[in-house]
Amino acid sequence: MAMTTRDRARLSLGIQAGIFLAVVIVLAILIDWTAIRSSFFAVESIGPMFPEIITVGLFNTVQYTVVGFVFGLLGGTLLALMRMSSFPVYRWVATAYIEFFRGIPAILVFIALGFGASLAFGWNLSTLQIAGSALAIVASAYIAETLRAGLQAVPKGQLEAARALGMPAWRAMVTIQIPQAFRIVLPPLTNEAILLTKDSSLIFVVGMAGGAAELTKMGRDGINIYQAGLTPLVVAGFCYLLLTVPLSLLARRMEHRNPRTAKK
Amino acid sequence: MSQSQSDAAGTTSPETSPAKGVPGGHGTSAAGVTITGLHKSFGDNEVLKGIDMSVAPGEVVCLIGASGSGKSTLLRCVNRLETPNAGTITVGEHEATHPDVNLDAMRRQIGMVFQQFNLFPHLSVLENCTITPRRVLGQSKAEAETEALAQLDAVGLEHLSERRPDQLSGGQQQRVAIARALTMKPQLMLFDEPTSALDPETVGDVLASMRKLAQAGMTMLVVTHEMGFAREVADRVVFMDQGLVVEEGPAAAVIGDPQQPRTQDFLRRVLHPLGE
Repeated sequence: MAMTTRDRARLSLGIQAGIFLAVVIVLAILIDWTAIRSSFFAVESIGPMFPEIITVGLFNTVQYTVVGFVFGLLGGTLLALMRMSSFPVYRWVATAYIEFFRGIPAILVFIALGFGASLAFGWNLSTLQIAGSALAIVASAYIAETLRAGLQAVPKGQLEAARALGMPAWRAMVTIQIPQAFRIVLPPLTNEAILLTKDSSLIFVVGMAGGAAELTKMGRDGINIYQAGLTPLVVAGFCYLLLTVPLSLLARRMEHRNPRTAKK
Repeated sequence: MSQSQSDAAGTTSPETSPAKGVPGGHGTSAAGVTITGLHKSFGDNEVLKGIDMSVAPGEVVCLIGASGSGKSTLLRCVNRLETPNAGTITVGEHEATHPDVNLDAMRRQIGMVFQQFNLFPHLSVLENCTITPRRVLGQSKAEAETEALAQLDAVGLEHLSERRPDQLSGGQQQRVAIARALTMKPQLMLFDEPTSALDPETVGDVLASMRKLAQAGMTMLVVTHEMGFAREVADRVVFMDQGLVVEEGPAAAVIGDPQQPRTQDFLRRVLHPLGE
């Protein structure tokens, strides 16, 4: 007798559950749980990491990220306006900047600022200056494209209606276009903040004094200090999640919220 | 800017339009429109090929014709959402095609209603109607709201003033758009296919609001496919085809007894889409 659609759906679910169970059982038998616990979850070495991992590591990570994001937003706004300018040279410069910094690994920018700037110009930059400006330089390229897309996603009819009512161009942009674009770009900007939070770890290539250490640096140092395998890295990883998961939830909530923006 | 010769093919005599009575109820005077030798191209595509027409103060003129005939482009040239390639347009005391014209000042006297409503979705109905009077004319909040509520009342939607546009039906949104335009006390109203995007059951309320406005003496230039509305409300109907005015005259004459073959053909297809 032929199977009904419902039978087939049930069979599919059953097969998937069976495979999952088999994999779990095989892993449970094969894995050396004692080794896992001592290398990654050495509970006794977690306690001594506090409160410094929060007061120093998390604090510095947040500090570098916020500085990078704020200046990245300023730079990104400027680049987005240049990208849409009627003056072609501005468009070329902005396009070249955006393509360049989106196309190279962020770690190169950290190296250039951390070592290159002092070699070339004799600048003696602080860790905050290096991390903040490296993140800002990279973020501004991504943010510029996000902002431009947001402004252009506001339907043309909105600006036409505003201009037809007699609003000057700048007034229509400030009152009608930007508020609608802002709602469009909030979720992608939040994602950008998540990426920056993680990229702040790249400052490790430059090296830094203990007081300037951020999460990744503290995790790596912890490996030597506590001789407890990779547990300090795991702790650092969870600290990143403390920052990125709420941001991620926030972004998802904003995406689901009924957008007060014209359709099409 | 070159003054082109008007294309004479099939054009009936312009310039003989009876002005309707004195505008009433608006507190502002109605403005007329004069268009001469208007040309407009998009790239190689010449959309307007020499338009001459006029609208007297207080007159209601319906522009009809197939899509692609240039009706909407003509309308959008009047408030300079499009820039003509040649020809002149005057609206009241403003010469819309003059290089030094103050476009913002001119547009404040020209209301426009779009096919897609184009209400501002991030603002409430009331804010849609008060934002321009407040930000551009410098009215106080109380002053702007009093006027906005009066205009919303006139289209029967005062009770929805706190709603967001996306909570309204298409017909309600379009009536808000009319009220929004009227808060600027325009002397001319442009309508670009105002009922084409509406569900059939909401078309009537929008047309009723427009009829009321016409009766109050507003100068109106209306691009529409609503032949019933054109016949009843318009003083004059202008039929356009392929960028030219083919026939114009009193509504009853053009719609009821068209003289030009192209007009006859168009009206037959619009009025009897299934054939006779």
